[in-house]
Amino acid sequence: MLVLNNVEVMYSEVILALKGITLAVQPGTCVAILGGNGAGKSTTLKAVSGTIESEDGEVSGGSITFEGERIDGLDPAEVVRRGLVHVMEGRRVLRHLTAEQNLIVGGHLAPGAAELRRRLDRVFSFIPPLGGLRERTAGYLSGGEQQMLVIGRAMMAVPKIMLIDEPSLGLAPMMVQDVFALLARLKAEGTTLLVVEQNSRVALELADHGYVMENGRVVLEGTADELRRNEDVREFYLGMTAEGERKSYREVKHYRRRKRWLG
Amino acid sequence: MIIDFVNYAINGALLGLLYALIAMGFVVIYRASKVFNFAQGELVVLGGFLQWWMVVSMGLPMIVGIPLAFVLAGVVGLLIERIFFARLVGESVFAMVMVTIGLLVLLRGVVLVAFGPQVRPFPIVFPLQPLVIGELMIPTNLLWGGVLTVLAAIGLSWFFNRTRTGLTMTAVAEDHQVALSMGISVKRSIAFAWILGCVLSTLGAVVFLSGKSLNFLASEIGFAALPVALLAGLESIGGLLLAGVIVGVIQGLATAYLDPLVGGAVGSVLPFAIMLLILLVRPTGLFGWRTIERV
Repeated sequence: MLVLNNVEVMYSEVILALKGITLAVQPGTCVAILGGNGAGKSTTLKAVSGTIESEDGEVSGGSITFEGERIDGLDPAEVVRRGLVHVMEGRRVLRHLTAEQNLIVGGHLAPGAAELRRRLDRVFSFIPPLGGLRERTAGYLSGGEQQMLVIGRAMMAVPKIMLIDEPSLGLAPMMVQDVFALLARLKAEGTTLLVVEQNSRVALELADHGYVMENGRVVLEGTADELRRNEDVREFYLGMTAEGERKSYREVKHYRRRKRWLG
Repeated sequence: MIIDFVNYAINGALLGLLYALIAMGFVVIYRASKVFNFAQGELVVLGGFLQWWMVVSMGLPMIVGIPLAFVLAGVVGLLIERIFFARLVGESVFAMVMVTIGLLVLLRGVVLVAFGPQVRPFPIVFPLQPLVIGELMIPTNLLWGGVLTVLAAIGLSWFFNRTRTGLTMTAVAEDHQVALSMGISVKRSIAFAWILGCVLSTLGAVVFLSGKSLNFLASEIGFAALPVALLAGLESIGGLLLAGVIVGVIQGLATAYLDPLVGGAVGSVLPFAIMLLILLVRPTGLFGWRTIERV
């Protein structure tokens, strides 16, 4: 469905942020991209959605195809029209608009007012808490509510694939569970998901397949089960010892300093 | 005595609504791009000269010439976006604001080169005789201007808060990247805002200049409208009506009663004193968006 083939991304014509990423997302599945800060996870999503252009970045090598057609270099609006919607990192609600206005903006490409209304109803029934927040100013919602709102806003575009960047960032553990439960329902409904996450534990519970990135490269890939069992992933991302015990934070840090992937 | 007071107040309020109409040009561009357009007064002058060109210079009948001038003003708005702002998507707002200062100088130069520094007669669009109701005398152009301002404010408020296009324009102003990620064409949105800003300025020019004379110095109206825009808050279109009336009435009464006492100028200075005060006390204006910061 979505295939990245040896994709390179360059910022400001000098900084090579992605150094040949290859990954594939099959329809109806959830793929997780894991990795630490600065690994290139968000850049990968921005390269797919085309929003990288506004940060003075460009896909300088390789290709991105969606449903068999090249989408790298396309206008972000065209990418959305083709069915890919990017939910950006950091709960970027439109702060001064109400929750409902946020959703209307998300569905701005809907053909006709009746279709827009139908999509609104669908989102409100899919994410019931949003129903009670219609008239509330989005900037004043809680973190969890904002995360649900941005996912709802992306749903308004009725995407074939949703690219979600760090949905758990800055949320309380209970909220993280709620947000991932929502994503699981979305997936069950047939929406394909490409999720970037630092919280590897929850991400691998939802995902069918995962990629681990470091320094602009994919250093490890496999099914979610394989990754959960992989000793390195357990140590570095799940914080567990080979015997399944949880490591202390100090030990994890110690290992992180020494780790070297065999890229 | 009382009737004089009412007369000054009503005329002040109507003048205030004219300021509000000019200020609407500021607000529309600000709502869609967070850019404060310093060249707003020049756009009014340009709109005025386009009408003079069509109606007086080319001799077209007003019914054809004025709508044509509005279309040309829209084209100017589109060109401004295409030439200057289309390249600045994703750049800092500060850079764009600096561009509007350049635009101010450029437009003034263009007007001087194209139409010269002479004072030109502006067509008489609204009757020159004031409307007389009992002892009240109301200038017809300002009365029509007031009606047009209220209609424009209602229309634009509805547009920005209720329609998809208006909401997507607000989205662009809030966050270029998020707007892009939702498939909104940032460039088209900003282009539309500039077109709207230029058309509103041309509408302001009709009301302001009808039956008067016109030269490049008329751009001062842009700065006269500034206190209204800042008192209302730069995002609020409906708020402009109230802010316009407040500033206009204060200015009208000050000109009538305080100017003779101190020898003039209080009426013109007071709106700016209000502006400074509002910036100190409530920087977002009466109805502007406050910064939402979650901690």
